[in-house]
Amino acid sequence: MEPRRDQARLELLQGTLDMLILQTLQWGPQHGYAISQALRVESHEALQVETGSLYPALHRLERQGWVKASWAQSDANQRVKFYRLTPDGKKQLLRERDRWSQLVSVIGGILAPRRAKG
Amino acid sequence: MKIWRWIVRRHEIDRDLQDEIGNHLSMAARDRVDDGADPEAARLAARKEFGNVLRTTEATRRVWRGGWLEWLTDVWQDARFGVRMIVKNPGFSLVVIAVLTLGIGGNAVVFSVFKGLALEPLPGVKDSATLAVVVSRSNGGRQVALSYPDYRYFRDHNESFTDLAGCDMAPLSLGLGSRGERVWGEIVTGNYFQALGVHAQLGRTLSPADDVTPGKHPVAVINDGMWRRTFGSDPAIVGKTIQLNAHPYTVVGVLEPRFQGSIVSLVTDVFVPLMMLPQLFPPDRLEHRGMRMLIVFGHLRPGVTRDAASARLEVQSAQLDADQPVLNMTYRSHAIPIWQSPYGAQTYLLPVVSMLGGTGILLLLVVCANVANLVMVRGASRRGEVAVRLALGASRSRILRLLLVENLVLAVPGALLGVALARVLLPFLSSGAAAAAPMRVSLNASTDVWVLGFSLLLSCASALVFGFVPALQTSRVELASVMKDESPRGAARSRLRSALVVAQVAVSLLLLVGAGLVTRSLIAARQADGGFDSHSVSSVAVDLEPSGYDSQSGRELVTRLFDAFAASPEVESASVAAFLPLTLVDGASRRVTIEGYEPRSDEDLSFLYNVVSADYFRTLRVPIISGRPFERRDDEHATGVTIVNETLARRMWQTPEAALGKRLKSGGDWLTIVGVAQDLKYARLTEAPRPYFYLPFLQAYTSSLTLHVRASDASTDILGVVSRQLHATDPNLPLLTSKLLIEQTRVALSPYEMAAGTLLMFGIMTILLSALGIYGLVAYTIEQSTQEIGVRMAIGASRLDVVRQFFGRGLTLAALGMALGLIMSVAVTRLLAAALYGVSATDAASFVLATAIVAAIALAASFVPAWRASRLDPLAALRHR
Repeated sequence: MEPRRDQARLELLQGTLDMLILQTLQWGPQHGYAISQALRVESHEALQVETGSLYPALHRLERQGWVKASWAQSDANQRVKFYRLTPDGKKQLLRERDRWSQLVSVIGGILAPRRAKG
Repeated sequence: MKIWRWIVRRHEIDRDLQDEIGNHLSMAARDRVDDGADPEAARLAARKEFGNVLRTTEATRRVWRGGWLEWLTDVWQDARFGVRMIVKNPGFSLVVIAVLTLGIGGNAVVFSVFKGLALEPLPGVKDSATLAVVVSRSNGGRQVALSYPDYRYFRDHNESFTDLAGCDMAPLSLGLGSRGERVWGEIVTGNYFQALGVHAQLGRTLSPADDVTPGKHPVAVINDGMWRRTFGSDPAIVGKTIQLNAHPYTVVGVLEPRFQGSIVSLVTDVFVPLMMLPQLFPPDRLEHRGMRMLIVFGHLRPGVTRDAASARLEVQSAQLDADQPVLNMTYRSHAIPIWQSPYGAQTYLLPVVSMLGGTGILLLLVVCANVANLVMVRGASRRGEVAVRLALGASRSRILRLLLVENLVLAVPGALLGVALARVLLPFLSSGAAAAAPMRVSLNASTDVWVLGFSLLLSCASALVFGFVPALQTSRVELASVMKDESPRGAARSRLRSALVVAQVAVSLLLLVGAGLVTRSLIAARQADGGFDSHSVSSVAVDLEPSGYDSQSGRELVTRLFDAFAASPEVESASVAAFLPLTLVDGASRRVTIEGYEPRSDEDLSFLYNVVSADYFRTLRVPIISGRPFERRDDEHATGVTIVNETLARRMWQTPEAALGKRLKSGGDWLTIVGVAQDLKYARLTEAPRPYFYLPFLQAYTSSLTLHVRASDASTDILGVVSRQLHATDPNLPLLTSKLLIEQTRVALSPYEMAAGTLLMFGIMTILLSALGIYGLVAYTIEQSTQEIGVRMAIGASRLDVVRQFFGRGLTLAALGMALGLIMSVAVTRLLAAALYGVSATDAASFVLATAIVAAIALAASFVPAWRASRLDPLAALRHR
């Protein structure tokens, strides 16, 4: 039995969606639906990205020049919009990953203080 | 083009977005079908998973928003809404637009005059505002024009100007058979029209080829006005002959309609080559460096500054002084901008116009304060609407923008109507200046694109000023309080409105004090006689030479006229003079040598003078303070005599008595001083005392004369008497002008008339606006506290108590404003000093009167609503709202 999606659903931290999209596009151009599916699968169904935020986020990234969009034929012979990571987008992804790991270590440090302060 | 591309792009984005979302949904459905779901159920599930398609579309589309085009369409939307609001609230809109029209109209009038002077001082001349005028300073410190040798030297060694042209302005007698007219002419250098870029509409202009040999180029060009007026637009005028100072000239062309001449605000009718000056005004002194008659001007070459040009001129003048010295005199030339040129009306108009500009801004501030009040009141009634907009998710900045755009929409009709108002008012202003001048004055003041642009700019700026604070307040609506129907921030709102009312009262008091001062100046100037009595005195100009008189027969004619006048019971005394007093322009001056006096090397002994007949001083009632006036025995056979004025006598001989019997020379023989006359104002009412001397007509004959004849009785038609007598003596002698002296000297009042008229107009506008402001505030306060009034009356307050409460409020504000206004007035009116005559800048009468008017109007404006409040029915008041 598949677990009910909304039970295990985690809310995305503000600002992390852009980073996840960039990360997903690292392995090649994708269209919007594929990105949302990839995020769901990669997170083992824990993350359900709201399409209400996915598309604005994609267009925001496109406007900022971190991804580039182009129309192409899909396998099902549909005209589909593919998003591709730009060199700028790659740099941005690295920056966001750095920031993320910093954030994780800082927050982790606060939540699990191993050494008592002398 | 850009807008079109943007619209196309917007549609593309929308279409792509639809496709993209459609694809998403169909792919999601297909995945589910692949997993074995029913197609219809799969479609619905995909939709459900996707969520609100419309909201996602909106949110995504918003990503592409922004940019000035997007902003522009929003503003357009707001403007359309603004227009709808105007139509929906015609009362409010009409009041705001009317008030704005007053403010903008007043400023548009002033700007029109200023623009004429500053941007296009010479109508019909391209870039006339950037012309530089070359003037000289004599070693005596006097600013004088150039001589022909100076001009020629500068022109031939010119490196700073694209071209240097010059002119001498002089009255000419125009003869057309038996008819005659006095016209103003410019005697111009050959390159004059090329330098100004002025062309002929008929025939040709003058060229350097017309200006080669003295006396050999009898050609003339006339202006459009004279062509129409005097020659009935004769299409065959070119080639015809006219008489100028009794010499025949061939008309070679008619100038373009707009061109008036090269002297600011003065209209020149006839243009003749400079080489004809010796013929028109003998003797030939063209080569004389002391004859400073040429007004020289030109455009600076690109890259040459005025300072550099001046420095060069200085060096060249020093060279000239060394090469062609004039006894005891040096002349140093420099370049000044045309608006500083001492030649033309700008000298006395610019101070007046700048003062009016200042008051115009004050008027506009009052207008803004007033409109701000109105907008604020209306803002209060729109809180409901604003609350709904906020609740629906509009941002405060978006609402602020909406309210500001609405104000801008109100400002545009205000500007347009203001320009229309200026169009109506301007003729009154210019006619005052043009009325009775001895020369035709024409303000180049018209409402054009410049004025329209200025007015739009000004009214949009005021819309921002008067709209910003109220809009800020209105957009700061608190939702909860609106729902509860409370009146929010009542205190803050009315504090601001009170401050605005105080400011309005203060500014209107200031303007009224200014108007009072200038009006009293005008009255003083009207009463001032300039040292002579111009009532019931004629001023009839004739020129004897064109009618065939030589100096001998001319003397005889004038003597015959005097005899006839002496026999007439209607005439008290009669005289002739070469120059009129108080006509804003200086007459001629002459260099003088004084017996036994060695002038310092830097002393300039050039004095203004007049040629007058025996009874001149009696006719104009100028007292002779020592010695005697001219008499008939001072004729060409007697020893030369002269009369000096008091200033000249005191400067040379310390006392008037000591001057008697001393001798001076101006050109010819020694002249003995037989009398000392009291000083007059020779050109302007505000001039400082200056030395002056008189020559007797019989000894210093001139052909161009003005007849001053005093009537024995004020009711006599003195002009009729003079013209009948002239006709009886010589029916063929044309009268060049025939006016009362008092009409001629009125031109000296024109700056005061203009200032007083405009200031009074502004003052009245502001005090009415302030009254509106006080009334509005008191009425609003009463409206806000209607219930309170009801309660007070119900528990026994009398009507008088109610009146007192609100009346007192209006009065307090008015008193505050008046106190502030008085302080401002004391500080500011001293700046007016230049425009005042005969009153001090702290003239008590003006202050008291202005304060009284403001107080009376403030009383009325606060009393009326307070009284109406006291008539409220207590029961109705209690149930208010």
